[in-house]
Amino acid sequence: MHYAIRHVTRFDYAEPAGFARCNLRLKPIAWSGQALEDYHLSVEPGGHFVPARAPSGLANVLRLVIDQPTRTLTIESTARVTVDRPVPIPSSDDPTLADVARMALNSRDLSPAGPAAYLFPSPRIPLDPAIAQWCAQELAPDRGAPEAAIALARRIQSEFHFDPTATLVDTPPAEAFAKRGGVCQDFAQIMISGMRAAGLPAAYVSGYLRTLPPPGQERLVGADATHAWVLLWCGPDHGWIGVDPTNGIWMAGDHVVMAIGRDYADIAPIDGVMLGSGAQHMEVSVDVEPLEGAQ
Amino acid sequence: MASRAETGLFDAATIADRWIAEYRAHAPSGDILAVGGQAEQAAWRAMFEELATHSGDALDHAAERAQRQADDIGTGFRIPGESEERPWPLSPIPLMLDEAGWHGIAEGIVQRAELMETVLSDLYGPARLVEQGYLPAALVTGSPYFLRPMVHIDPPGGYQVQFFAADLCRGPDGEWRVLADHMRAPVGAGYALENRIAVARALGGLQTRLNIERHAPFFAALRDGMAAVCRRADPRIALLTAGRYNPSYAEQAHLARYLGLLLVEGADLAVLDDHVYVRTIAGMKRIDALWRRLDPRLLDPLAFDSTSAIGVPGLADAMAAGNVVVSNAPGAGAIESNAFAAFLPKLALRLTGEELKLPNIATWWCGQPAECAYVRDNLDRLVIAPAFGASPLGLPGGAAMLGAALDTAQRAALLADMERRPEDYVGQEIVRLSTTPVVSGGALVPRPFMLRVFAARGADGEWVVLPGGFARISDHPDPRAAVMGEGSWSADVCIYGASAVEPVTLLPAPDDVRLRRNPGTLPSRVADNLFWLGRYLERGEALLSVIRVLLGNSIGADTGAALAAATVRRLIGLILSSGAATAPDTTRRTDLLAFARTALESETTNSVRHINAQARKIGDISRERLAADMVRLLEAPFPTKGGILDRAGTLQRRYAALAGLAGEHMARTDAWRFHDLGRRIERGMAVVQVARAFLDPQATTDDLSTLLDLADSQISYRQRYLTGMARVAVADLVVFDPGNPRSLAFQVEAIAAHLHALPVLSDDGLDEPQQAIAAELSALLKTARAVDLDLDRLNALDRHLAALSDAIAHRYFLQGAEPLRADGFTLA
Repeated sequence: MHYAIRHVTRFDYAEPAGFARCNLRLKPIAWSGQALEDYHLSVEPGGHFVPARAPSGLANVLRLVIDQPTRTLTIESTARVTVDRPVPIPSSDDPTLADVARMALNSRDLSPAGPAAYLFPSPRIPLDPAIAQWCAQELAPDRGAPEAAIALARRIQSEFHFDPTATLVDTPPAEAFAKRGGVCQDFAQIMISGMRAAGLPAAYVSGYLRTLPPPGQERLVGADATHAWVLLWCGPDHGWIGVDPTNGIWMAGDHVVMAIGRDYADIAPIDGVMLGSGAQHMEVSVDVEPLEGAQ
Repeated sequence: MASRAETGLFDAATIADRWIAEYRAHAPSGDILAVGGQAEQAAWRAMFEELATHSGDALDHAAERAQRQADDIGTGFRIPGESEERPWPLSPIPLMLDEAGWHGIAEGIVQRAELMETVLSDLYGPARLVEQGYLPAALVTGSPYFLRPMVHIDPPGGYQVQFFAADLCRGPDGEWRVLADHMRAPVGAGYALENRIAVARALGGLQTRLNIERHAPFFAALRDGMAAVCRRADPRIALLTAGRYNPSYAEQAHLARYLGLLLVEGADLAVLDDHVYVRTIAGMKRIDALWRRLDPRLLDPLAFDSTSAIGVPGLADAMAAGNVVVSNAPGAGAIESNAFAAFLPKLALRLTGEELKLPNIATWWCGQPAECAYVRDNLDRLVIAPAFGASPLGLPGGAAMLGAALDTAQRAALLADMERRPEDYVGQEIVRLSTTPVVSGGALVPRPFMLRVFAARGADGEWVVLPGGFARISDHPDPRAAVMGEGSWSADVCIYGASAVEPVTLLPAPDDVRLRRNPGTLPSRVADNLFWLGRYLERGEALLSVIRVLLGNSIGADTGAALAAATVRRLIGLILSSGAATAPDTTRRTDLLAFARTALESETTNSVRHINAQARKIGDISRERLAADMVRLLEAPFPTKGGILDRAGTLQRRYAALAGLAGEHMARTDAWRFHDLGRRIERGMAVVQVARAFLDPQATTDDLSTLLDLADSQISYRQRYLTGMARVAVADLVVFDPGNPRSLAFQVEAIAAHLHALPVLSDDGLDEPQQAIAAELSALLKTARAVDLDLDRLNALDRHLAALSDAIAHRYFLQGAEPLRADGFTLA
C-alpha cells in the first residue's frame, strides 16, 4: 500500500518568540516492511536546519533553528511511503517469553536496534506493581512471544476505553491504568511497562495509522493525529514484532513507523526550547491517505 | 572558656594519654587508633595533645570549637527537600593515616580511575567489550546514566573522566576496599577542603608538627588540568551548578570561589554556532570548559531530557563539535552502578593485566544465571541492592537490604521479582567497617567510618590524588556498611609523614601567578541578584524606619512628645502604600501596635519579614560574590527578643551593618556597582514616597520634622537652617540637594556614575536607554525648583525611577527560556 502523509503542526504565541531550537523527528525512519519514497519538510516563517549531532534513538532528527521573532510557527512534514508488511502468524516454533528475556539479557548488541536498552524502565515508563500484575496474566514465561504479545494487546483493547479527555501527554502510565482509559500513548505505555516488568524488551513506536473511512463516507481529512504502539523483540531470528494495543491488532500494512525509542521522550515528533514569555497554543493535523490506484 | 585554651603542653600530654588509654580500653578490635603501631600511636597522641592544648580536658568543648570553625567558614549542606541549610556536624578529631599506607590507597585509586577511562571510551566508542562478551549490553543500558546521544562523540579535551572519587571502607583486618565509584557527580572535595580549614584552625599547630600533607597542590593541579585541556591559552572555565536547591550547592559555591571559577547556572549559558557563551553584563563571553555539577540528563534539553528547564540547549552539539570541554563527560556515570562492580575485577585483569590494587566488595549481578542462583541460595548472608539507579519492584524505595533482615512477605516479593527481572538486583557481601574515635556525650567513642577519596587529572593528564579526603562517621556502633547510610559526622583526614615530629614541610608556593586587577566576567544573573539584594535591603530599611518612627514617637513613653494625630495618619499611609499591612481600626495605642507588628513580622508579602526572607534567599545564591560576614548577617534568624521596637531596632542595626560591609568591604567591581545601583534606586524611590506623604501645603512642623527623620536628614537640616521647619527648605534638602547623601539628587548622581562606568554594548557612542533615563532624571532635578515641587512632579520622578530600573533590567539581566509545550501532541 502507498500512503501520502501530511503532518502539520502550528504553534501560536501570545508574545513574539525570539529564539527557538527544536528537534524535529518527523521523517519516517527506514524500517522493515516500509520504504520512504519521497519526503518534504517546510517551516513557516523560515528558520534553518542543522543536522543534530547527537541522535537519541531510532529517529531521523533535524534541528530547527529560529532566530527571528515570530508569533506563529507552522511545520509541515509530507511523506510518501510504501508499506508492505505481512501480518505475523504465531507458531509453536516461536521463542517463548522466557527465551526472549534470556536472549535479551545476554545480547551483545549495544546499538539502538538491539534489545538491551528496552529491557529497563525509562523516564516516561516506570515499572508499576499494579500494571505488572495485571499484564502478567497474559505473560506466562512458557508462552510463545508473538502470541502472548497480541493477546495482551487485545486484552488492553477490550478492557480499556478510548478517552482523549482522560489523560494528557505527560500522564504517567499508572494513572491511565487506574482509569482504565486514555489514548494510544497511554495504552502503549501501559503495555510496555507490563512487558518490561516481566523482563521483556519492549519499545515505543510513534508513527501513523491509516484510518479506514466508515462505509459510504469520505475520509475525514485532518482529523487524525500521530499514533503510538509497541514493538517486542522476539530474538535474533524474529527481530522486532509490532502490536497495536489501541486497536488490538498486529502492526502490519496500515502502520507507518516514524521513530522508535524507549518511550515518547526519546522520539517526540517535535520538542525543544523557545525563548519568550506568554501563552502558547498548538494545533496538530495529520492526514494519512491511501493513494488511488496503488495496490 | 578562654582560660581553658591556656592549658600547658605538659597538661595536654597528660590529658591526651588519659583520653587514649580510656578509649583503647573499650575500642573494638580493628579500631584504627587501637591497632596502630608505635608511629601511628605517636601521631594520634600528637593530635590529641593539640586538641587538649586548645580545648583543655573538655571534649565537648573541642567539638563545639571545631563546629564553630566549620560554621564560620560557611560550611553548610542542604538536605534534599529542606529549604533551610543546617550546619554540618564536623568531628573535631581527624582521621590519622600514615603516608606509607596512604600510598597504597592512592595507587589503587589511580589504577581505578584509569580503568574507568578505558572502559568508558570503549563503551561510548567501538563497544568491543560488549561485542566480545566481557560486558553484557544490558549491564550498560541498565544504567540510567548511559547516555546514548554521547555515543561516538569524542570527548573534547580527550577524557571521559577528569575527576574521580571513590568511597572506601577499612575492614577490621585493616584492608581497604572500594564500596562505590563516583564519576557522574564526584562531590565532596569542597567538603574535604572546608573540613581541613576548620580543623587546621581548631588544631593550630598540628599540620606543621605532624608533617601533614596539604590540599592546596591537589586543587592547583585540578585547575591546571582543566585549563590544559582547553583550546585557548587563557581559558574561561565555569562550574555549572543546578542552583541553590541542589544539596551540594554550598560546596559548589565554595569550590568555585576557591578555584576562581565562574559559578554559572544553565540559564547563564547560551550556545551559538556550536560555541558556548556566558551571558554577562558586557555581552556574550566564550566559555572553554565546564565543570559539570548538574545531573547529566538535565544538561541539554535538546540532547537528553527535553523537559529540563535548567540545562543549556545545544551544549551536546558544542561538545560534539569539540568546542567545549565538559568534565566529567556527561555519560561517565554509566559504569558506577552496583552491577558494574561485579565485572571490574575481571576487566582489570583483561585491560591492564593486573589485579585491582584496591579490591571491590564482592558483588554478584543476578543478570547472570549462576550468580543469580548463588544470591538466591545465600540470601541470608548477603546484602541485596538495586543493580542500577532505579528502584526495582522487589526492593520498594530502592534501599539496599540485608537479606537476613527481610520478613517473609518482603522475601517472597523479592524472590518473585528476582525471577522476573533478575537484572535489577545484585548481591553484595556484608562489609564490616573498622572504627575511629569521635566525641559523643563528652567522651571518645568508637564509631564505624567510610572514606571518600578524590583524584583529578593534572596539567599533564596524570592523576593526582587528594592527600586525605572526606570521612563520614556513623552515629551508631553497628559496623555493617549497609546500615550506616550517609553517616552523621564528617571528619578531616590527615596523611602524616613517616617521621611524625619533623618540622614543617615547605611546599613550593606558586609564584608564577599572572597579576590581574579585573576580577573578570560578571554573569547577568549574578548582576540581577546583587541588584535586587540592594533593593530589598533598602526597602526593608525604609520600612523599618517608618515603623520605628511610628512606634517610637507615638507610643514609647521616654522618646519625647507624642506625634500629632495627623502625622500618625501620614505614617500609617506610608506603610499602607508599601503594602505591608492593612489599615488599623483606630490610631489607639493597641491598634497601632498590632498594625506595626503586622508590617514587621507577618508572613504576608511586603512585610519586613518577607523582604528579609527575599534578601536572605538572594544572599544564599550569591554567596560566592559576597563577604562571608555579609552572608552570615543575611542568614541570621529573624529577631525574636524584646518588644516590637527592639526587634525592629535589631534588624535596622543589622541592615546598617550590611550597608557598611557593602560600602567598605566589597571590592569596587561591577558586581558592587549593581548592588549599589539597587540600593540607590530603592532609596530614591523611598525619598519620593516619603515626600509624597508629607510634603503637601498642609504639612505641619511635626510632619516636616518626621519627614527629616525618615529621610535621615535631621542633622543636615539643622546644619543648614537655623530657623525652624520650612516646607520648601525641607523639600530642597531631601529631594534636590546633591550635597545631602540621603537626597534623591544624590542617589541619581550616583546611579548615573555607575551607569557611566558599566560596560555598554553599542559602539556608536550614543547613550544606551538606561543612561538616557538617568541623564533625564538628573536634568529634571537640576532644573526644577523646590518651591514648585507638587504631587505631579513627585509622580513624574517616581515614574522615571521605575523606568530606570526596568531599563537596567532589560539591558543587563536575563530573559527566561521556556520549553515548548507538547500537550496533546500524540492523540489517536
